[in-house]
Amino acid sequence: MFRRKTVPPDRVGWFAVRRELPPRRRALLTLLSFFGPLLLWCAVSYLPFIWHPEVQLTLAADRDGVTTSYSAGDRLSRDYFPEYVRQVMVDNAAIRAAHETGDSLEVTRRTNLRNLRQIVPWGMTNGYLTQESASDDSAMLRLWARAAQGDTGKRLRLSRENREIAATNWDMITTTATDPFDPRQLPTQPLLKLLPQGERSNPVYLPTPGDVIRAGWRDFTTPASAGGPALGERLRHSMRIVFGGFLLAALIGVPIGILCGTFDFFSRLIEPFVDFFRYMPAPAFSTLLVAIFLAHDAPKIALVFVGTFFQLVLVVANTARGLDHSLLEAAQTLGARQPQLLLRVIVPGILPRLYNDLRILLGWAWTWLVIAELIGVKSGLTEFIETQGRWRNFERVYPVIILIGFIGFFTDQILAALRPFLFRWTGDMPGQGAHGLATSVVAGPRWLTRTLTEGRLDAHPKFLKR
Amino acid sequence: MPDPTFSLPDYRRQSPEVAARFARLKERPVKLEVRTLGKTFASPQGQIEALRDVNFRIYRREIMGLTGASGCGKSTLMRVLAGLEYPTSGEVLLEGQPVRGPGPDRGMVFQSYTLFPWLTVKKNVLFGLEMSGRSGPVAESEARQWIDLVGLSAFENAYPHQLSGGMKQRVAIARALANQPKILFMDEPFGALDAQSRASMQRHLLEIWKHVDLTILLITHDLDEAVYLADRILVLDPNPGRIRELIEVPVPRPRAADQCFSPPFLAAKCHLESLIHPPGEPHGPNLNLVRMTPHDDNPE
Repeated sequence: MFRRKTVPPDRVGWFAVRRELPPRRRALLTLLSFFGPLLLWCAVSYLPFIWHPEVQLTLAADRDGVTTSYSAGDRLSRDYFPEYVRQVMVDNAAIRAAHETGDSLEVTRRTNLRNLRQIVPWGMTNGYLTQESASDDSAMLRLWARAAQGDTGKRLRLSRENREIAATNWDMITTTATDPFDPRQLPTQPLLKLLPQGERSNPVYLPTPGDVIRAGWRDFTTPASAGGPALGERLRHSMRIVFGGFLLAALIGVPIGILCGTFDFFSRLIEPFVDFFRYMPAPAFSTLLVAIFLAHDAPKIALVFVGTFFQLVLVVANTARGLDHSLLEAAQTLGARQPQLLLRVIVPGILPRLYNDLRILLGWAWTWLVIAELIGVKSGLTEFIETQGRWRNFERVYPVIILIGFIGFFTDQILAALRPFLFRWTGDMPGQGAHGLATSVVAGPRWLTRTLTEGRLDAHPKFLKR
Repeated sequence: MPDPTFSLPDYRRQSPEVAARFARLKERPVKLEVRTLGKTFASPQGQIEALRDVNFRIYRREIMGLTGASGCGKSTLMRVLAGLEYPTSGEVLLEGQPVRGPGPDRGMVFQSYTLFPWLTVKKNVLFGLEMSGRSGPVAESEARQWIDLVGLSAFENAYPHQLSGGMKQRVAIARALANQPKILFMDEPFGALDAQSRASMQRHLLEIWKHVDLTILLITHDLDEAVYLADRILVLDPNPGRIRELIEVPVPRPRAADQCFSPPFLAAKCHLESLIHPPGEPHGPNLNLVRMTPHDDNPE
């Protein structure tokens, strides 16, 4: 009787003006709205032909007469990489020519050693070297022996040119040295340089989903380290600041807002200034807040408070004003006096809208988090983002950013899903209306939905008889 | 020319029983007296006089209808009587005491129900009692009686959004009655209902009126409703709102639905019709119409 008319699902196309799609399609599209961007990210990350404007070096080489030196892991633009390889090949050609003519180029053992060491990343990637043996030169020379014997490696393969270079170099090393694995017995003749190898990659600011997930998993599972508290502890700290500032703002702002919406006196006295004050951006007060509240969390909570309080007062005042005036008149004809009008009519009457207002303002509070944590002594998740970002460990930054998004989003979704149960008298049903993800994907636990539906009177046998 | 078989009696002609009833009615105590009431609003366009020199009396257990063209000040008058607006001149006496501000001694039922949506039916009815400091089992059982009176006992724990329009209006009536007001103001109470619910609500209201000490002032646009329910009908003229006529309805009580076609009923209704829609302009205001059909194609 009062339920919205539902159209049989098979009659509705995908595009119908102001028509709700059937639940299954709604759920599908909601999932797609998350998986779409994720798929796009995967495609850009794992399909090199889409973008990948850079080459990340797996093997590097130094060039004669060029001071800029690269090492494995560095990124070069894709256009420059062939030039880089060519320059190394020119150096190698000169060395080969010197070998044939017998000219002795001036090369020290140290230079040879430095060039030979460029093979270390190959050993590391393939697991032939451990972190500890990475600086051990005889272990490094054993890698050359391995490569000379034709081992190309599994995870990082040596190119054919580099295998030949390895063989040539190893020949020279073994002909002069009694113990080829002793770095002090390296030949003084120049040895060939490994040619640079690389993989096409995206810029450093766009790590692959795999890297992000691995880094996130590692960061969240490792306990507190020398770099500061563990991420879980940081998260709790950040949430303390957001909810602390927000609850403080709500505790003070809601009563003031209701007073403003109820009495013109308070509205005229308070709202103009509040309206003016909210245009002063909260971050502008940061140094001031630090001066007032000193270090630790107090200035941060104060910043979240300043950022939300003034908006909250105005929003709540409008909500209080929005209550149907005829309800107040009806209450007056029933004998309600001033305090009763406020406490028995206005306050209960606006609760559902107030609840929604607070949900929106909690979202505002989250947006102030990062700035709040930057002021004074950096702390919480933001400090982690800052530090890792400065080291260009962006694959460790992304999980934290996404985490903040998730916490805010899910808090809001849970609050939205709870609303019909908190305010049953509004007649809102779970899974009805534009409540977003929680309701369209999950549609609320089925048993709860049923309980509510059966509580309705249009399903009441007595009602149907009438 | 009207069909001679349908010629109606004068609406002022009353059968002996009806005349005797009105004589008795006017001997009852006066519930509400309105004396030289005037109301002027200030607006950006200047002063607007909404009511001028309104005088009338309502006797105990009378149902008085209040009707007139739209914008004639019916609602303003009722809001002044209820104390939601203050009169610019004149005074309103309720049982001899001047009215100042809204109060529980004058119940009001609005067209838009105005139930508190966050309260169940029972809590809505209890609201007035709680406002006068009464709660607990005694007040609750009293509220139940009023809910029972309007026939909604099965729904006392329902929320307003679960009820139909007619049911909501019955709750509103029960809520107003629970305060046992000296007079009940009803501002087009059934205007938002469909025809069937409206008819049943009218019968229901008469039943309640018979069983409860109730004096009613009822605004209505529906002339049938006015004649069917009211003892006397106050007709207002617009701009400024003033009393055109106070009609004594010549239909005997108890009223029944089949009286709608009795000569006194029709006579009263025709007279009301002529007061509210004067016969001078049969087609309403002049419309700027262009003929879009051939001249010989006349649907009449």
